[in-house]
Amino acid sequence: MISFSQVTKRYPGGHEALSGVNLAIEKGELVFLTGHSGAGKSTLLKLIAAIERPTSGVVSVSGQNVGRLPQRAIPYLRRNIGLIFQDHKLLFDRNVIENVVLPLDIAGFDHRESLKRARAVIDKVGLLKREKANPVSLSGGEQQRLCIARALVSRPALLLADEPTGNLDAGYAADIMTMFRDFHQVGTTLVIATHDDRAIMALGGRTLQLDHGKIGEVAA
Amino acid sequence: MIGWLRHQKHAFAAALRRLGAHPVATLLTALAMGVAISLPGGLYLGLGHLDRLAGDLPAQPEISVFLDAGASTAEKQRLAARLQQADIAEARYVPKDDALATLSAAQDLADITAGLMQNPLPDAWVVRPQTTSREELARVAADLGKLPGVAETHLDSQWAARLQAALAIGRTGVWLLAGLFAIALVAISGNAIRAQVLARRDEILVSRLIGATDRYIRRPFLYVGALQGMLGGLAAGGVLAVAGTLLRAPVEHLADLYGSAFHLLPPAATEIVVVLGLTTLFGWLGAWLSVTRALHQVEAAR
Repeated sequence: MISFSQVTKRYPGGHEALSGVNLAIEKGELVFLTGHSGAGKSTLLKLIAAIERPTSGVVSVSGQNVGRLPQRAIPYLRRNIGLIFQDHKLLFDRNVIENVVLPLDIAGFDHRESLKRARAVIDKVGLLKREKANPVSLSGGEQQRLCIARALVSRPALLLADEPTGNLDAGYAADIMTMFRDFHQVGTTLVIATHDDRAIMALGGRTLQLDHGKIGEVAA
Repeated sequence: MIGWLRHQKHAFAAALRRLGAHPVATLLTALAMGVAISLPGGLYLGLGHLDRLAGDLPAQPEISVFLDAGASTAEKQRLAARLQQADIAEARYVPKDDALATLSAAQDLADITAGLMQNPLPDAWVVRPQTTSREELARVAADLGKLPGVAETHLDSQWAARLQAALAIGRTGVWLLAGLFAIALVAISGNAIRAQVLARRDEILVSRLIGATDRYIRRPFLYVGALQGMLGGLAAGGVLAVAGTLLRAPVEHLADLYGSAFHLLPPAATEIVVVLGLTTLFGWLGAWLSVTRALHQVEAAR
């Protein structure tokens, strides 16, 4: 589903975040990306979602050369990818359900149908009682679950999560990892950047170690 | 297609919400636009009225040739023969009785003219020469004035021609002014929209991350611009309506003093529709320019 071939990403200023990375992720796999901060985990995820373009090499998602995708095609790529951010990127001028329904509105679905789907996803992440609340009033764990709900609502085949449990205490983190395991079991491809070793131990799955922009596989 | 319509509906609703969320800002922007539009709009309406006044007057220059009261038949015949010549396009004889009748009918002066012992008006010719140049007209008038039996010649309608020329300048001025204020409208709209785009920077960035096209992001802003333009047009209508109401009584009083039934007319429905359409269009255009530019900046700043 995802393949990197000799991918290098150099930022303006000369910092090389990834150097000659090769990797292949099959459909339905659960993959953890680990490594010290600044090792290139976020960059790798950004290249998959075409938030950044590679300096050289080929990033391919579902057979598309993402790095060469024209600007106008990128929105349609992103609609098939669920993105989960460490800083949530929620919109505070609208309530919980309006945040979750946004991807469906963007994709042009019927609004009433979208609300139904959004409510189902909010229920799945345990926020149904808070659907009219403003995200500001949610705890960190709830905000993260809301971000996950928004990523899931369009039923993407691929979920990318950048430090999804980074700011959370152990209880919340375990909840969220359990949720990820459920998605994995229904066939979603997941790539999770984390340095939460307990979570990796608990869930199992493949682990890729990034070190100064180079990749190495860790035996499970 | 259904998705497209749904997007339009959403964007329109979002635009209404955004305008409604900041009623004071919306109102002030509409007012600024309204004042800008009412200037060329008011001038246009004023010129229309002057045009209507001048429309009744002959724009073609004419020479009135007044005959001596004691002119002999031979002299009259010689004049008539002269008026057959090639430099005269048309000549109309107005006997003094006809002139008196026209005068009494036209200006409600019947009671005054009825009191006259005898007709004080001379017989006259109304002559339209071939030429319209001022020098030629003066030459023809002087020529006719030298004939025996002619008391006086008067170059009549030159002032009407001058008025027409002045009105033509005025009309050009209205278009120039309208063009300038159209630019002002685009600028006002663009500025208002720019502020909104910057205020919604986070929303734009997040929307892009979850698959929004630029068109999707741009759409509500374009509706805001168009609606704002339309509100500006309506505000201009309000300004002009107030001005018209205030001016009506003094204008009618002045017309009355001239013995005219002239009064102010409201603009035609098509004119109102065209102006509203144009302000909507320019509001949209300002929004488009501004949002396209701002989106590039947001992209670059990311």
